[in-house]
Amino acid sequence: MKGIAAVAGIGLRQFKRGTSPLPERGVLTQAVMDACEDAGFDSADIDGFATYGDDKNEPVRLMQDLGTKELSWSSQVFGGGGGGIAGAFGQAVGAIATGQASAVIVFRALVQGNSGRLSAAVMAHHLNAHMIAAGLVAPAQVCAIRAQRMFEYFGVPKSAVENFVRAAAWHGERNPQAEAYQQSFDPNTYHKARWISEPFRLFDCSRENDGAGALLVVSAARAKDLKKIPVHIQGVAQGAAKGWGDLLENDDDDQYATAGFKAVARRLWAQTGLTPADIDVAQVYENFSAQGVASLIDHGFCDYESVGDFCTFENLIAPGGKLPINTAGGNLAQGFIHGIGMPIEAVRVLRGESANPVPGARTCLLAGGPGAPVVSSAIFSTVLT
Amino acid sequence: MASAAATALSVGAEAEYWDGLLAGELRLQRCAGCKAWHWPAVFRCADCGGWDHIWEAAALTGKVYSWTRSWHPFGGLEAIEKPFVIAVVRLDGGGSARLIGIMEDSGDIHIGQPVSGRIMTTQFGGDTVPSIRWSA
Repeated sequence: MKGIAAVAGIGLRQFKRGTSPLPERGVLTQAVMDACEDAGFDSADIDGFATYGDDKNEPVRLMQDLGTKELSWSSQVFGGGGGGIAGAFGQAVGAIATGQASAVIVFRALVQGNSGRLSAAVMAHHLNAHMIAAGLVAPAQVCAIRAQRMFEYFGVPKSAVENFVRAAAWHGERNPQAEAYQQSFDPNTYHKARWISEPFRLFDCSRENDGAGALLVVSAARAKDLKKIPVHIQGVAQGAAKGWGDLLENDDDDQYATAGFKAVARRLWAQTGLTPADIDVAQVYENFSAQGVASLIDHGFCDYESVGDFCTFENLIAPGGKLPINTAGGNLAQGFIHGIGMPIEAVRVLRGESANPVPGARTCLLAGGPGAPVVSSAIFSTVLT
Repeated sequence: MASAAATALSVGAEAEYWDGLLAGELRLQRCAGCKAWHWPAVFRCADCGGWDHIWEAAALTGKVYSWTRSWHPFGGLEAIEKPFVIAVVRLDGGGSARLIGIMEDSGDIHIGQPVSGRIMTTQFGGDTVPSIRWSA
């Protein structure tokens, strides 16, 4: 996959939940125009679109505002959660590689007034009578049950998860565009916050924003001639291993207390020829705190035994940590428009535009929405290693 | 033949499961050919390629596989007193299927704890669905 396509432009509009100045499609149009401006690209030449998570904005409806000459391809990754986020980039690369499209916008837009609460929409996608019968009706509960087994049965130390949250908060505190800008992490507040669904308290849970994000993907050759440093899409994998998926809590023993990346991570490393040691920085989608840590385990940065040693605060922060994570603050501290801020930060940190720079970083992992029946990951890079 | 009510609850091939609960019994699916247990229920057995199934009664006893104590007033759960515990239970029989249900007497709940279940109903919004209540 490497060498085919690159991200050439990014745009992100984020507002507090319920305060978007425009309806969803208007904000999305702004984000797409921002991405074009960033790249120095004429929006009329966009001919493809990819998204995930049941986004309701049909690309054909954007054509009039963008001045689209011709829509030649559009697609969406299955799944109601954020599991498909990296997969959408894989689709874009596929469309470009096969000549079905030449300039693809990967996007996600969410404005509460139009689409309601994200958590409710995600759950409506997955809810069934078995879950209702058990009072299991929210993503927080679903992820909490998996996290409980990680902690209680596999002995993952809660300190690993707290350090993950603290590192994201530390980055958010230093990012003027983050919800948590200038707010320092207070362990007392974290530990005493109200329970949502044990083992999760309030600040283990991502909170929703209104807004939209858009990334312009073009061929690697074309990206070279645009304004910004191309950020190559080096590899993408999506899917589910046998024994993981929509199984009414009957996932295999070795996958139940994970984030679901068993097959995806294996294929991502095989496809790129890279290993966890080659990754300089990571954007790890955390709908809930423990699932972010589970993603690190799934991708082989550590295991159930070593996760406590790996997930120290110092290891997880920019500039010099072993693996700085969520350098804009992530879903927990930067903001949460169904995760679209994560690939945007992957591009920023590799370009050297992050509020929390990682000097010399050449590779960035994007781990998509963990715990979803279908998950996906991608590796972005400024050089083709 | 599945009842209309059970068919309405089904998301896949498990109408007989709901019929069982409505009749006060836990029934789980086995392949008629190779006898493999399937949960969630299937239309086709991927082990042997068979399309015929039998539904066997299974005891509602097992061990806690994982759990959460839910505190937040999520929409639809108004009829359930909070906090309440949701337990995933691995059955002792029934092909070791895991079933989810609300757990009563959950004071010292822990993974591996033996539990037994009875068939009740749960109210979600305006709907009433058959359900399993676990207790220690």
